[in-house]
Amino acid sequence: MDPTQVGLAMIGAGIAIGVAGLGTGIAQGQVGAAAVGATAENPKMFGKGMILMVLPETIVILGFVVAFLIMNA
Amino acid sequence: MLRPEEMTRAVVVGSIDSLDSTIESLYELGILHLIDFTEQDEEFKLGQPLGKASGASQSLLKLRSMIRSLNLEEHKPSEKVPVKSIETKLEQALVTLDMNASTKAESRQRIQSLIREKESEIRALEPVSAFDIPLELYEGYGSIAALAGVCRTDPSGALASRLRDYDLSVRARKADYAVALFARAEEASEASRVLTEHGFQETKLPKLTGVPAAIIKRHRAEIADLEKDLERTEKDLETIRHEFADFIIASEEHLSIEVMKAETPLRIATTANSFVIDGWIPTARARDLQAALNTMCCGLAFVETLPTERGDDPPVLLKNAKPVKPFEFFIDLVSTPKYDEIDPTIVLFLTFPLFFGFMMGDLGFGLAVASLGAFMRLRLKSYPDLQKLGTIILAGGIMASLFGLFVFAEAFGVPFHPPEAHPDEHSWESVAYIPIHPLLDKMTDIKEMLALSLLAGWVHLTLGFVMGFVNQIHHNRKHAFGKVAWLLILLGLFIEIMSIAGHATGTSGFVNDALLAWVPDVGTSIAGINASIPAVALIIVGIIGLSLTEGPMALSEVIGLFTNLVSYTRLAALAVGKGAMALAFNTMLFPLIFESHNIGMIIAGALALFVTQMFFVFFLGALSAGIQAIRLNYVEFFLKFFEGGGTEFSPLKYLRKYSAATK
Repeated sequence: MDPTQVGLAMIGAGIAIGVAGLGTGIAQGQVGAAAVGATAENPKMFGKGMILMVLPETIVILGFVVAFLIMNA
Repeated sequence: MLRPEEMTRAVVVGSIDSLDSTIESLYELGILHLIDFTEQDEEFKLGQPLGKASGASQSLLKLRSMIRSLNLEEHKPSEKVPVKSIETKLEQALVTLDMNASTKAESRQRIQSLIREKESEIRALEPVSAFDIPLELYEGYGSIAALAGVCRTDPSGALASRLRDYDLSVRARKADYAVALFARAEEASEASRVLTEHGFQETKLPKLTGVPAAIIKRHRAEIADLEKDLERTEKDLETIRHEFADFIIASEEHLSIEVMKAETPLRIATTANSFVIDGWIPTARARDLQAALNTMCCGLAFVETLPTERGDDPPVLLKNAKPVKPFEFFIDLVSTPKYDEIDPTIVLFLTFPLFFGFMMGDLGFGLAVASLGAFMRLRLKSYPDLQKLGTIILAGGIMASLFGLFVFAEAFGVPFHPPEAHPDEHSWESVAYIPIHPLLDKMTDIKEMLALSLLAGWVHLTLGFVMGFVNQIHHNRKHAFGKVAWLLILLGLFIEIMSIAGHATGTSGFVNDALLAWVPDVGTSIAGINASIPAVALIIVGIIGLSLTEGPMALSEVIGLFTNLVSYTRLAALAVGKGAMALAFNTMLFPLIFESHNIGMIIAGALALFVTQMFFVFFLGALSAGIQAIRLNYVEFFLKFFEGGGTEFSPLKYLRKYSAATK
């Protein structure tokens, strides 16, 4: 493949995982802050808080999969 | 293992005369989880507290107030006080303490508040202390307004130009100006406006007479006297504390236990002549209960065990082998499993150290973490939770060392042997030749590690769904078959991923050739991606089954299952990431240490290396690998089967820390 194309593909993979990570970070920051607050008030909320906290991780995992597919294409 | 301790419903019935001794023996035995009696009717009433309750709680109240006034909250007695000596000495001791400690503590409080009062008066007088104006002259005028306080800047000039007639005293201080102004009453508002422009803050003068400086001097002398008194009182209190501290703490514990026992009848049903205690006991110890009652209650109380009924909610006492027990810590953190739910502690015991070890994968860091864990386990006896955590960390550390030794062949981020591609890289060869070669290289075998992670994920998730099936099969067949549908979809996804990977990695090759050899290798191409037809078929069958059992809404979670599976690649990602960072730091710092030939540089480099190593061990290692390893269990694994919300088994019993029971 043309090196330019390879380079562009690499940049694409980087954007895919980078932006997805950013999105996850923003979402998780907000959920996490709320979860810590809830846990501080009632320690039994830890389990629920933890589960809600990691929901946005789906986004970055999908980003990772896309990046991986681009790299191997 | 997998199931909590089996419980039996036990009802203890007896004559009201034996209530006291029955409660005593139940507490001694410590195996009955009491069910609070709530439904009163004409026959059955809540019991009355035992006779000793009121006296004991009064003494307890006194002791607790003494603990506060003697600052004994944190005191830990050096040796246990026998209950007998508490009981014989308590009354006398309470009188003595009441006379000495309480009055001393009161006078200490009085002295302290006097000192505070004097100090605040001194603070208030400070601004006007420079002026020779007696305090009584600052008030009581009809036509003159007096203003005293501090200004940020000197107001003399402004006052001269804006007021007609006034008397001003100003004294420059370190950062501001002390001001005392006497102005005509009709000019008072203009005067205060001028002062405000110079950042005036009025001082509220205390109602005293005399020249401020003299008052301050007098007050200081008084404070000095008071402080001497305070010191004397403190010394007296210290003597009392020294003499009685152990006794007070031990008595407080003993009386708390007595009150707890004495108030137990408030939780049980009684009639005029009998009592009924309803509760749960571990089935294995049902005999002990009757035996204990027979010996202690002279045959006046009896136990009846009842079979468990539907809708009963027995308390949960997790039952695990000794090495597995510390991992119950992770279960407690989330929720107690229900009585008829599978207890997943054993799976945590197996997977947590494995995941942790794989992510950490370093002999040096592993041993450091293991020694931290061993330290916590051996040294923090008084914190049971931290001790459990210590055991968990120890297990993780040992696993990490094993992975580091046999799989990744590296210690402190430095490989035993340089990789073939970079023969001049730093390695332990320059120290000693270790005849172990890596099975996996963190820098080159990334795909292999990804495939391994996915395999671990598939096994873990499959186990989760199987547990979910077992939990549901006696409750709700539909949900149970829903789990089977999920299993099919999961298998389909796994086959698809492995068929795309083909023989690119050893793991996927092994999976395709051995584990999934029965799957026919027929493929087609959908949107440029190779799709395995059996995989697609499994997913479709699963999806149909899912919409029949769990409803169409569950379909939206299919993509979630895929992310669950891919989520396990964090195992590989963390291992690689940690390896790469350790390599980067070592590459930067080793030349400084070994090649600079400058002692300052060598020390600086060694220090920097030490700090980064610590960072890896405790921050990246313990925190991130630990958190990710437990997260995979909590989120990916637990959500497939775990509901929680069970009642924790908390039997009637007490713990004596500072007092010793005497027969």
